[in-house]
Amino acid sequence: MIKIENLHKTFGKNEVLKGISTQIGQGEVVAIIGPSGSGKSTFLRCINMLEEPTDGKILFKDQEVTAQASKIQQVRKKIGMVFQHFHLFPHMTVMDNLTYAPVTVNKVSKREAEAGARELLKRVGLADKEAEYPGRLSGGQKQRVAIARALAMSPEVMLFDEPTSALDPEMVKEVLDVMKSLAQSGMTMAIVTHEMGFAKEVADRVLFLDDGVLVEDAVPAEFFAQPKTERAKSFLEKVL
Amino acid sequence: MQKRTYVLLSLAFLLVFSAVGAVLHMGGHQAMAKEKHKKTLVMGTSADYAPYEYIDTTKGNKIIGFDVDVAKHIADKLGYNLVIKDMDFNGLVPALDSKRVDFVMAGMTPNAERKKKVDFSSTYYQAKQLVVTDDPKIKTIEDLKGKTIGVQLGSIQEKEAKKIADKVDKVHIEKRNKVPDLVQEIMSKRFDGAVIEDGVAIEYLNKNSDLRAFEIPDSATAGSAVALQKGSGLTADFNQQIAMMKKNGELDKIADKWFEPKSKKKAEKKSIVDFSTIMPSVPYILKGILTTLKFVVVSILLGFVLGTVLSLFKISKVRVLRWGADAYTSIFRGTPLILQLLIIYNATPQLTGYKIEPFLAGVLTFGLNSAAYVSEIIRAGINGVDKGQREASMALGVSYGSMMRQIILPQALKNILPALMNEFITLTKESAIIAVIGTTDIMRRAQIVGADTYRYFEPLITAGIIYYVMVMALTVLGRMLERRMSRGD
Ligand SMILES: Nc1ncnc2c1ncn2[C@@H]1O[C@H](COP(=O)(O)OP(=O)(O)OP(=O)(O)O)[C@@H](O)[C@H]1O
Ligand SMILES: [Mg+2]
Repeated sequence: MIKIENLHKTFGKNEVLKGISTQIGQGEVVAIIGPSGSGKSTFLRCINMLEEPTDGKILFKDQEVTAQASKIQQVRKKIGMVFQHFHLFPHMTVMDNLTYAPVTVNKVSKREAEAGARELLKRVGLADKEAEYPGRLSGGQKQRVAIARALAMSPEVMLFDEPTSALDPEMVKEVLDVMKSLAQSGMTMAIVTHEMGFAKEVADRVLFLDDGVLVEDAVPAEFFAQPKTERAKSFLEKVL
Repeated sequence: MQKRTYVLLSLAFLLVFSAVGAVLHMGGHQAMAKEKHKKTLVMGTSADYAPYEYIDTTKGNKIIGFDVDVAKHIADKLGYNLVIKDMDFNGLVPALDSKRVDFVMAGMTPNAERKKKVDFSSTYYQAKQLVVTDDPKIKTIEDLKGKTIGVQLGSIQEKEAKKIADKVDKVHIEKRNKVPDLVQEIMSKRFDGAVIEDGVAIEYLNKNSDLRAFEIPDSATAGSAVALQKGSGLTADFNQQIAMMKKNGELDKIADKWFEPKSKKKAEKKSIVDFSTIMPSVPYILKGILTTLKFVVVSILLGFVLGTVLSLFKISKVRVLRWGADAYTSIFRGTPLILQLLIIYNATPQLTGYKIEPFLAGVLTFGLNSAAYVSEIIRAGINGVDKGQREASMALGVSYGSMMRQIILPQALKNILPALMNEFITLTKESAIIAVIGTTDIMRRAQIVGADTYRYFEPLITAGIIYYVMVMALTVLGRMLERRMSRGD
């Protein structure tokens, strides 16, 4: 579904991604892990062109994303993204947060969008919050709304950038549960995370990034039991 | 921001606009009350030249004066109703030329340039030049030695004063824009005297017992005549009526009414502050609120729209737009507002030949100027919105325009509302500057009343109170909006 070839990204003189190649298949759940500053977020943000790659190719369903900057909106609406800090629209109700993009971008009727939104809110367990403003929700609730907002566009891929890092510990589970059920429903997902337990349980593959290089690409059982490289070993020792 | 706030805002604007619209319909021309005759003559004049034609501020908006009485008499004798149209003096000849008025009486002197475009009747009044002074020791032009005299800039009186300076030693000539300014300078002892035409001087002599005047020997006598459309059949009728009025003493009678000094009341000791003297003129000042309001609303809207566009330029990726918007801001913030106003008002006719109206010039200046400040405020507001909002919108595939309109600007608006309100308040206060180009706003009306009554403190304080109330109303409105907008959090 997504193919990445020799991806480079430089900020000024700082080369953050140093030629990454990999692919993500239909229905696959990929966990991206690595030390802070290793380029995980940058990698994820290149996939929907929130960061413009300096070099290399990204293909989404055999379409070259990097080549058609003008049609990037067409690609983005099929790739959902969930951020560490939610980025809900604070001046809109939960319902409006969910229906805004379907109505303005996909030209879905308001009525249809609202029906879809209610369905999604039920799925993330927030059916009673549709009239609330984001400011009055807890962190976990906000992140579940953010997931529902991305899903409202019926994306084919979902990108998550540390979706639980900004949450109080007791709220992490409710968000991970939503993500788990999403994975089980067959959604293609790329998740940057520090939740090793979650990665082990849910991911089909683990990508280990260090200093802008894709150091390991393995199934979780293998990666967590016997990492091949020293870098991965020392990283796992620190986090587990 | 909720829908209800938008509705409230639009309602407020609607209210102001309809009020403004109503006023626009009212002003314009003044029809005489009774329709005695079947036919009507339209007279053009410029009602800022007492006692020839002026607005009596104590009695509302009615135009009165010597010319008006003469015109009424002639029109009546010829079997017409009289309608008076008030306009800028410079617009009178063009109005005749384009047949918008039938004749013009405005203390107008026939000269070669005007004669090319219009016909003149015989003169109906000869003016004399006077030296007006408050110094009892000045009785002849020789007494002006070593003194300072004032004249209106660019007037016949200026030439007259130069002639005096040629004859008498060390006469210092000072110029002012308006005759009331000259009198005010005499009253505050900065001038020893001023050269003023008799008909105009008489007003001041009547109102102020400290002033006296004497005629300048051999002063050029400029005659006033009626201007009519080129080839108008009325010219002969007017000439006939003027001759008749001269013969039967009707003209002298009207002249006496307007030009003879009234027997001076013994100067009663006036209290230092006395609002009762200006009470009748307060409604006249109050009418300026609508002018000021209309001006402020239009300027704010223009400034806001243009400022928003400029702020978008400032954050755009296109370098030329960024550079242009920054240069624009830098220029409008780096030069005095009054200079910008005078350039637009005075230089536009010079450069383009288009005689820009004072109101339009004012609105343009204030709108353009305000846009510079508003664009800075909005830019700061947009930059103040969390970058994540932009990224979340982009990730959803939302277009730049929709994102700006529906996600970024509404949030920015909340951040910038206090600063924006401040800008609107400043604009409301600074709008008083447009008085210099003659727009009859609150400030200008206060000045007119001051010149009329020789009381400056009371009308200015009245104007001050009006401005203060307006600013307070804006402040309260701003707080209400802020409270409404913060409901979402
Ligand atoms: N917009 C930017 N401009 C300049 N440098 C940037 C920018 N974004 C990221 N970087 C730099 O790129 C490097 C990688 O950043 P990135 O956010 O991708 O790391 P990360 O792996 O997601 O780290 P973390 O686990 O802390 O989120 C860092 O050194 C960071 O300072
Ligand atoms: Mg990161």
